Amino acid sequence: MNTLASLLLERPLLLDGGMGTQILARKPTVDDFGGLQLDGCMEIFNERRPEWIRNIHAAYFDAGADAVETNTFGANDVVLGEFAIAHRTEEINLLAARLAKDVARSYDRTRFVVGSVGPGTKLITLGHIDPDSLFESYRAQVRGLLLGGADSILIETCQDLGQVKTTVRAARAAMADTKIQRPLWVQVTVEATGTLLLGTEIFAALTAIEMLGVDALGLNCGTGPDEMYAPLATLAEASPFLLSCLPNAGMPVNESGNLIYPQTPEIFAEKVAAAAKTFGLNIVGGCCGTTPAHIRALAQRMANVGLTRRTPSMERSVSSLYQGVTLRQEPRPLIVGERTNANGSKAFRDALAKDDFDALVGIAKDQQREASHMLDVCVAYVGRDEVRDMDEFLKRLVTQCTLPLMIDSTEPAVIERALKLAPGKCVVNSINFEDGEGRARQILDLCRTYGAAVVALTIDEQGMAQTLEQKLVVAQRLVDLVIGEYKFNPSDLIIDPLTFTLGSGDEAYRRSAIATLDAIREIKARHPGVLTMLGVSNVSFGLKPAVRHVVNALMLYHGVQAGLDLAIFNSGKVIPVARIPEDQRRATEDLLFDRRSEGYDPLKVLLEIFGNGKVADMTASSLEAMDPSARLRQDILDGEKQRVLGDVDEALKFHDPLHLINEVLLGAMKEVGERFGAGTMQLPFVLESAETMKAAISRIEPLLPKESSTSKGRIVLATVKGDVHDIGKNLVDIILSNNGYEVANLGIKQPVEAIMAAVDQAPTLAVGLSGLLVKSTAIMRENLISMAEKGYTLPVILGGAALTRDFVEQECRPLYKGPVRYAEDAFEGLRILDASRSGDLAELEVPVQASKITVLRRGEASVPLTPEGRSSWVKRSDTIPEPPFWGVKEVAHGPEDLFEFLDTFVVIRNRWSFTQGQLSDADFDQVIKGKAEPLLASWKQRLLAEPLLRPRARYGYFPVQAAGDVLKVFAPDRSQILSEFVLPRQAAGRRLCIADYFEPVGSSRFDVMGLQLVTLGRETAEHAAKLYAANQYSDYFSFHGLATELTEAYAELIHSQIRRELGIHQRDAKQLRQLFSQGYQGSRYSFGYPACPDLEGNVPILELLQGAELDVEITEGFQMVPEYTTSALVTWHPQARYFAV
Amino acid sequence: MVDTDLVKVHFILDDLLVQAPQGTPLQEIADHAGADITFGCRSGSCGTCRVRVTSGLEDCSPAEAEERDFLASLEAPADHRLACQVCANGDLEIEYLGL
Repeated sequence: MNTLASLLLERPLLLDGGMGTQILARKPTVDDFGGLQLDGCMEIFNERRPEWIRNIHAAYFDAGADAVETNTFGANDVVLGEFAIAHRTEEINLLAARLAKDVARSYDRTRFVVGSVGPGTKLITLGHIDPDSLFESYRAQVRGLLLGGADSILIETCQDLGQVKTTVRAARAAMADTKIQRPLWVQVTVEATGTLLLGTEIFAALTAIEMLGVDALGLNCGTGPDEMYAPLATLAEASPFLLSCLPNAGMPVNESGNLIYPQTPEIFAEKVAAAAKTFGLNIVGGCCGTTPAHIRALAQRMANVGLTRRTPSMERSVSSLYQGVTLRQEPRPLIVGERTNANGSKAFRDALAKDDFDALVGIAKDQQREASHMLDVCVAYVGRDEVRDMDEFLKRLVTQCTLPLMIDSTEPAVIERALKLAPGKCVVNSINFEDGEGRARQILDLCRTYGAAVVALTIDEQGMAQTLEQKLVVAQRLVDLVIGEYKFNPSDLIIDPLTFTLGSGDEAYRRSAIATLDAIREIKARHPGVLTMLGVSNVSFGLKPAVRHVVNALMLYHGVQAGLDLAIFNSGKVIPVARIPEDQRRATEDLLFDRRSEGYDPLKVLLEIFGNGKVADMTASSLEAMDPSARLRQDILDGEKQRVLGDVDEALKFHDPLHLINEVLLGAMKEVGERFGAGTMQLPFVLESAETMKAAISRIEPLLPKESSTSKGRIVLATVKGDVHDIGKNLVDIILSNNGYEVANLGIKQPVEAIMAAVDQAPTLAVGLSGLLVKSTAIMRENLISMAEKGYTLPVILGGAALTRDFVEQECRPLYKGPVRYAEDAFEGLRILDASRSGDLAELEVPVQASKITVLRRGEASVPLTPEGRSSWVKRSDTIPEPPFWGVKEVAHGPEDLFEFLDTFVVIRNRWSFTQGQLSDADFDQVIKGKAEPLLASWKQRLLAEPLLRPRARYGYFPVQAAGDVLKVFAPDRSQILSEFVLPRQAAGRRLCIADYFEPVGSSRFDVMGLQLVTLGRETAEHAAKLYAANQYSDYFSFHGLATELTEAYAELIHSQIRRELGIHQRDAKQLRQLFSQGYQGSRYSFGYPACPDLEGNVPILELLQGAELDVEITEGFQMVPEYTTSALVTWHPQARYFAV
Repeated sequence: MVDTDLVKVHFILDDLLVQAPQGTPLQEIADHAGADITFGCRSGSCGTCRVRVTSGLEDCSPAEAEERDFLASLEAPADHRLACQVCANGDLEIEYLGL
């Protein structure tokens, strides 16, 4: 018998305090570590400075500790691997344990050594490391500790349930390797937030670890003793294991850059000893910030503390990474969501077939929202690799879904993979005796190893048990094996007595529902504690959906009456039985209980009732419990456009329409704006909310009293003259009109006269001007002058990409008598308007600061111009590439070709505004993976399926020569000049001009210029306009952004073709991302951009390429229509890059 | 109000030396002084304004996730930054790469 165990039967064990700080107090140098490579490796001191470690252990023993922890917190393959000594893991642990053991032996009284196993540096549940590597890493460590003589193994400071499960397995494997059995202790770290680092509640941790059958479970690190009281209370009440507690010396405070643990030895000892009495602690000690003095004080306090007997009782539960869920729900049953199942859901199967694992996670989350308690997960699909699919799905699911999992597979390899990945306590679905007991035992072994409950079906060698007697015989056999032999807790056995369909009319099954319900009753009576489950919807297989809902609901109802504990069910489809009309209920119950008579067949009656297929959609969920107006508010926040109309109708029964708009809906939109401003909600979600708002308002509006007005005022909104850019202005329209303003959206290219006329039409609160082009900023300025001249004084709000706050404050405000404000985004515009209405506009004022930026020295132009007036920075090249043809060529492409060149980073982060804001890395990652990427995938699919794009391009090669700033374009036969580009030159710096990249006039050679024009066609622009007109804001926004970037992609595609044809493609970057950052030879300049800001250059390009052939036209402002069109001038010159004039 | 400290930014390509309050965005300094740095999207996703910080790297505001991801995807050296994302917290020497 281990004397450690006998001590623990007598009194609490006193462990030691902090190790790391004691080592650091010795101020180790690089030499102490043994060189730079090992700098920071505390475990190396077991070898290099053993006297230090010996002294620290001795100090704790001297202070009164019964046991010390080995200096092996990070001594596993993973951490030691960071110092390139992973191969020494076992050896270092052995050394450390032996060293501590030597010190322990030098005392008279028996002292013990606890092998410390820390959490490592990689979180398995977040996918930082795979389960098998982590397993081997710890297995080697624990082997070393055992061989070195450790009296127990303490897996401590655990932050990740996945790591606990893997490490416990590894420790057991190491005990088998070494044939040395020692107690296994686990300590988790509860952060100040009340959960483990990854969000695990203490009860969820207990539920998962309880299954692993360790010897002690407790807490260490994270907080001081005070904060540990709440989680200790949970453990004391429920944990069947010894209870340990090793707090820090209080919560650290930062004192001039140093972390100080504030609790003195006396305070610390008093609190820990009090906890020991209150909770019946079996093992106490200290963690960060505790010293031998703390342990000495604790030893004195603990001298009078004996064992307090606990009588723990634990509600049998399952758990996810986050929460525990009791298996006996009140009210029953526990609902197991059935749609994350390739056999149960077509949507799931389809997404699986496309490897769209994010969509699978979406289905899981839907069920979570619909109040499932647990998810049945099945990825069995003929022809696919089930292990891989389970792996891919669970890796994503376990962090994104808070529900415990039921692993549904018959393949042990699949089950094992799932149990390795799922951090909580799962249920395995299922075992049976179809092929005898072999496979059942194989699966039960896995359940025992990984700590899972099990579902057992009443199937034996004779097949599926149909009669009550057969079901009970198999159930008895299952109980004998699982509880009798495998010693499972009875409630970790869940028997499914099988349900058969009544929908086929098959005589053989007429009484099958009766047998199933009776079996539930009998199993509950004969085998106390054992739970029951049904796959309820099997009962109606083969019937129409409307009939199925009713039959399933009543089968569930009677199952629960019979004592059913769990039901696999589509939780969104739970119909409250009371809402089922009497005739349907009677016919269904007659069907279930086989009550028939001459001329009366309940199945026929049911089919007749549902013949016309109409059944109200009566779904119940947690939302149902909410007050209708609270639900409405939630719909807006969640962007639940589908649900909102029903909730509006419901809310209208209780509230007056004006109240709903002014208080509930506008209040919710206000919160949306606040979340956006705080960086916790992103634009695409905002648009979904706005869309939902629009739908809700449209529903309510007709009910408003005629004389009432909900409008907060009228706004005239326009994109200024010469600018065709729509999107920014439309976003403003969306936000304003869904926040109570009436918006007169005049459209694009609006001359100031039209804007003023619109203001005159009706009382107007303010004008909003928008524009993307640099030129538009000047137009806004001119507009203000015109409006001032006509005597307008209403507020004007300016916004747009090229505009800056300084420009508005300094150049625009002085020109106009009324308020002029810059709005960075739609919500700032909203704030300005709200402030303007309430007369608080002045409070929004930001004091204008004179610019404090001063130029101290401006160097000479770095390079002089050549006599021909060219930048001398640009070198002429010896050889000029030869194009495969001169003149113009037209090509067409499919969407899939464009996708290859799509810059998805820019689409998601820039065009769609999925920016991190204030979101944590994990939350942001979830937004990208859960929302942005699936959105892109679905759009791509639509674009492949529907004719929304018609990508066509014209490009070609022309002989050119440059005269100073003018690029002369010759006919292919060089007989005449076709056109001239007059290009701007930098005033300072390198004095660059695009013309410099081409051979000068007077040269004997002609250079080659590429031109290109690409368009997605009118269809694309029309579709975008259609989406906007239909108030499909989020679709409009995402489609517009994607189309804009697909236009770029197309330009990139044609440009890459040009480089190939010119033979300069060898320098193309291999990675797309780099290619998009000019990772190639030469450059592509578009008019309107910094190197050539004037749009007039589009005119000669369109002429030379005959743009009319592509249906591309040019506006008065020299912009090209349709919108998704872009052109460029291409040079092959190696020095050509983007620059700004 | 206390005057904030001033920092000096030297744009090597144009030998342009500019003084600005500590914490001013580099983009604002470059724009104001007319430095030869080309900005594209100004939101950290096109890479046009990529610069090498030849001195004062530690005085640049730290890169946020998006810039980090972007530069990492280009395998850019540690002294490269996107000028549109940097605030000058100390004296800087900036070399525009024109990549």
